[in-house]
Formats: sequence, structure tokens, C-alpha cells
Amino acid sequence: MYGWIWRHLPGNAWVRALISLVLVLAVVYVLFQYVFPWAEPLLPFNDVTVNNQ
Amino acid sequence: MAATTDDTAEHTDDGPAPRSRRRGGGRLALAVSVFGELLITAGLVLGLFVVYSLWWTNVIADRKADRQGHRIRDEWAHSAPGGPGALDTKDGIGFLHVPAMNNGEVLVKKGTSTDVLNDGVAGYYIDPVKATLPMTGKAGNFTLAAHRDGHGAKFHNIDKIEKGDPIVFETRDKWYVYKVYDILPETSKFNVKVLTQVPKESGVTKPGHYITLTTCTPVYTSRYRYVVWGELVRVQQVDSKRTPPKELR
Repeated sequence: MYGWIWRHLPGNAWVRALISLVLVLAVVYVLFQYVFPWAEPLLPFNDVTVNNQ
Repeated sequence: MAATTDDTAEHTDDGPAPRSRRRGGGRLALAVSVFGELLITAGLVLGLFVVYSLWWTNVIADRKADRQGHRIRDEWAHSAPGGPGALDTKDGIGFLHVPAMNNGEVLVKKGTSTDVLNDGVAGYYIDPVKATLPMTGKAGNFTLAAHRDGHGAKFHNIDKIEKGDPIVFETRDKWYVYKVYDILPETSKFNVKVLTQVPKESGVTKPGHYITLTTCTPVYTSRYRYVVWGELVRVQQVDSKRTPPKELR
């Protein structure tokens, strides 16, 4: 999978490394900005109140 | 994986037999390596989620709480001191100071929904039992909740509070000084009785001016609730320099 991506990136090793870094940062950004905020309420880690439910 | 496929691609003029054998093995190797990479990816994503929950949400929440807190301090500074309560409480009603928790001031806002609490504030209950706000002067229970971990983690150090410790609530005009008189280190999350106006579980029987802090316990989970009760000791007028009461000095 990662090998396949690496082979399909253009340029020499340095350019590919740079593009890979940008891709990794993009993925981390999407996770922190959209995926984790969406997933968090679905997981039972952050209920702090007492209630009837 | 890379080496195998590169080899097959480069040596296309090899005999048909070894190539097909390699292809078959290569396909299995490919499947295994993709599966392995997916597992590694899943591990990394879970690791990142921990980083997000325990660090990043704090960064975001503290930033928001700071901004809202500053806005309230500005409002207080510009509105007439001692005047009647034409106070906009949408941004928050005041600040909670608990020296034992060692985390400065905690903004207090209305409601305990995740939307409110995720901004790094403490919320006063409106459901299932409505909190009695100290500003009303009525006897009752001022019930609060805040996150134990992540999203500002404003009640993270709730277990550092001991009986006799002060809890101070600051509004525009007054300091409400409470003293902790009982702690319940573990209770069911359905135990709404801890929020009643006279919290009998803490041993009191008469109406009075109480404060109740609730959060989840043990740390990093939401299995039980931790409850701290305090009773109003005195109310102190805010002076022009906002000198904090002696409990906070």
C-alpha cells in the first residue's frame, strides 16, 4: 500500500519524501479537524454529568 | 512487496514458469503486507486519537475559555459596579477558584451539555435538577460539572480536594466562599440525588447554601462520578481592586 503510493509519486527520493510528509500532515489534519471530533461523542470516555439516561 | 513487484516488472523476459510462480507468491505476500500496513495504520490512528483527546482538545478548549473569560472580565469592567443585575449571562456567570485543584480560574456557564463543557468551562446543571445560583440568594444547591480529561480538563485534580478546602465562586459583585464538607469518591452516573437542593447523601438535612462539583472517575474513563460538596461560609463584596478573599491569597 505505502510502497505503491511511494512508487507512484513523481520526482526523486527527496521530492517524494517531501510529498509524503505533506500527505501525512494532510491526513493528520483531516483526522484532528473532522474525524476525531465526530468520533469522540460516540465513545464512552467523556461523560461527566450525572443524569437519568 | 516493492522489491517483488519491481523484479517482476523489470525482468519481463524471464521464462514463463518462474514468473507465474513468483506472481502467485507475490500476490499472497502483497495481501499480507497490505493487511500488515492497515494494522500499523490503525495503530497509528488510535495513537493519534489519544494525542487528540488528552492534548489537542485541551489546547482548543483553553483557548476558547480564555477568550470567553476575557470577554466577561471586560464586560464586568465596563458595567456599573454594584448596579442591579442587568448582566448578560450568555457568556458565563462567573469564575470558580479552587486552590486545591491548582488550575487557576474556571469559567462557569449555563448548562452541562457537551457543547458547553467542551469549551473548557464548568457548567451549572439545568437538567435533570436545576441548580440554584448563589446570586439569587436563595437556599439551594449550586451544582456544577466539568471534564476530568480533555477539553480543558477543568476538574482533573478534583481528587486533590480535601475536606475543609475552600471553593470560591467569583461574580461581578461578590465572592462566594464555600468550604468543602463532604466528598463522594465514587458513585453511579445515574445517582442524580447528589444534585438535590438538600443533598442528603452528604449528611445535611436542612436547606442551606450548598455547592456540588461533579465529574467522572477514575481518570480517563466515564465509569463513575466523583462528587464534592461544599457549604457557603461567607459572602464578600468585590472591592474596586478585585482583591481576592484570603482563601485565594
